[in-house]
Amino acid sequence: MRETDQKQGRGRTILGALALLSILVGLAWGLILAPPDAYQGEVQRIMYLHIPTILIAYLSFFIVFVASCLYLWKRERRDDILAYSAAEIGILFTGLTIIEGSIWGKPTWGVWWTWDARLTLTAILFLIFTGYMILRSLIEDENRGAICGAVLGIIGFLDIPLIHMSVYWWRTLHQPPSILRPDKLPWENVHPSMLLALSINFLAFLLLYFYLLALRFRVGEMQDEVKKLKLYGGQ
Amino acid sequence: MELLRQAARLLWKDFLLELRRRESLVTMFFFGALLLFVFQFAFEISAERAAEMAPGLLWLAFLFTGTLGLTQLFQAERENHCLDALLLSPMDRASLYLAKVSFNLFLMLLVELVIFPLFWVLFNLTSWHLLPTLFFVAFLGTLGFCVLGTLFSAVTMRARAKELLLPLILFPLMIPVILATIRAMEIILRSGELGEGAAWLRLLLGFDVIFLTAGFLIFEWVIEA
Amino acid sequence: MGPWGFVFLAYGIVWSCLLLYLFSLKRRQRKAAAELLQLRSTSRGTD
Repeated sequence: MRETDQKQGRGRTILGALALLSILVGLAWGLILAPPDAYQGEVQRIMYLHIPTILIAYLSFFIVFVASCLYLWKRERRDDILAYSAAEIGILFTGLTIIEGSIWGKPTWGVWWTWDARLTLTAILFLIFTGYMILRSLIEDENRGAICGAVLGIIGFLDIPLIHMSVYWWRTLHQPPSILRPDKLPWENVHPSMLLALSINFLAFLLLYFYLLALRFRVGEMQDEVKKLKLYGGQ
Repeated sequence: MELLRQAARLLWKDFLLELRRRESLVTMFFFGALLLFVFQFAFEISAERAAEMAPGLLWLAFLFTGTLGLTQLFQAERENHCLDALLLSPMDRASLYLAKVSFNLFLMLLVELVIFPLFWVLFNLTSWHLLPTLFFVAFLGTLGFCVLGTLFSAVTMRARAKELLLPLILFPLMIPVILATIRAMEIILRSGELGEGAAWLRLLLGFDVIFLTAGFLIFEWVIEA
Repeated sequence: MGPWGFVFLAYGIVWSCLLLYLFSLKRRQRKAAAELLQLRSTSRGTD
């Protein structure tokens, strides 16, 4: 058992090193090598953070969903550990996305917050993640916490398409055409150098995410074992 | 089906309990009416604005009143180990889910039946002929609320701070219902007919069907936890 | 605040938060490892 721990540890370190490398390359491309946007200027560089983090936030929720389904089906501890690990990192990335969006919004639209579809949806995602974390912390029994968390993870994920539809309809039906925000993602009609910067940064964040997830998972496993040893002694 | 008969029996038990003690219904009625008064003090609702603010205010009242009902929903089962007895019987867990959804739906619909006309009277609205259509929209929304609310009432049943936790988890998930019902009701009040609101109603119906099915399948794991 | 100000504000916040989180994970890992070591050695002692 000690050997697999060591092998996993080494795997994580390699993953971490790769992540660090691509982060540095991504920073170089994002901040220096890619040109500034024709309309938004230098501020557009925040998109090299914003788009990867929001995509990874959704990826994290998807992992919570899959792990929740697996847990309800097989009831294996590691699926539950994966679920709340992905939730914890997901809430971090979602929070960062909101902050980035707000900072980007100030010079672009003049305000720190606006109720446009994308920002609103990110805020809702943040609220659902928060609900998950608070639910887990307020249920004392471990098994019940795992099951209840899994239910929220599944229902929350199923709700996301409906939430998207309703928020988008709400914003498009009510926005008079003169102040319609451009809802196209910045990668349409985009300079190839910027597309490259975006891809490198996305890869960097993805590697970082999996590194953090693997580490969080390991911590969760260890904490589980600590709890077991404290309860049952040296069995 | 046996499932429906079991659900009906459980529902009847809840009816009788409520009839005798009347705790949930009376509290919900008065809380809903009280909220209307608070709205007037908070917003100073003039005659012109009453119609455009009605859907939002009504739904705020329904959401909070409904949450009150949800926190009480499994109260009877928790006393005297009734829940354990139910789980020991060979009853299908989903029938308990159907019974509880129906019961909370019944309570909320009764409250809404009173609050709607009360709102019209208190704020001097004249569009009484629109009430049936508005009530139908509210019914679909209330169904969505009860479907998810019952599931999460069971989820939070044994958590600490469950009265705070339930709305915290439930309200973000309810956003499609909140948006759809209020927007549809706004369209009805503005133009006198459903029109474009039909798209919102389809969304509502989809929500109800999806989560009734999901709740139906998932409930047994929750209640046995 | 000029455009670069906003850019550095965003990048600064994001990367410091991620670094802080990484440190908190490492700290939790070290604490759990120490606890495991202690628990395993005491349990072996009571056999």
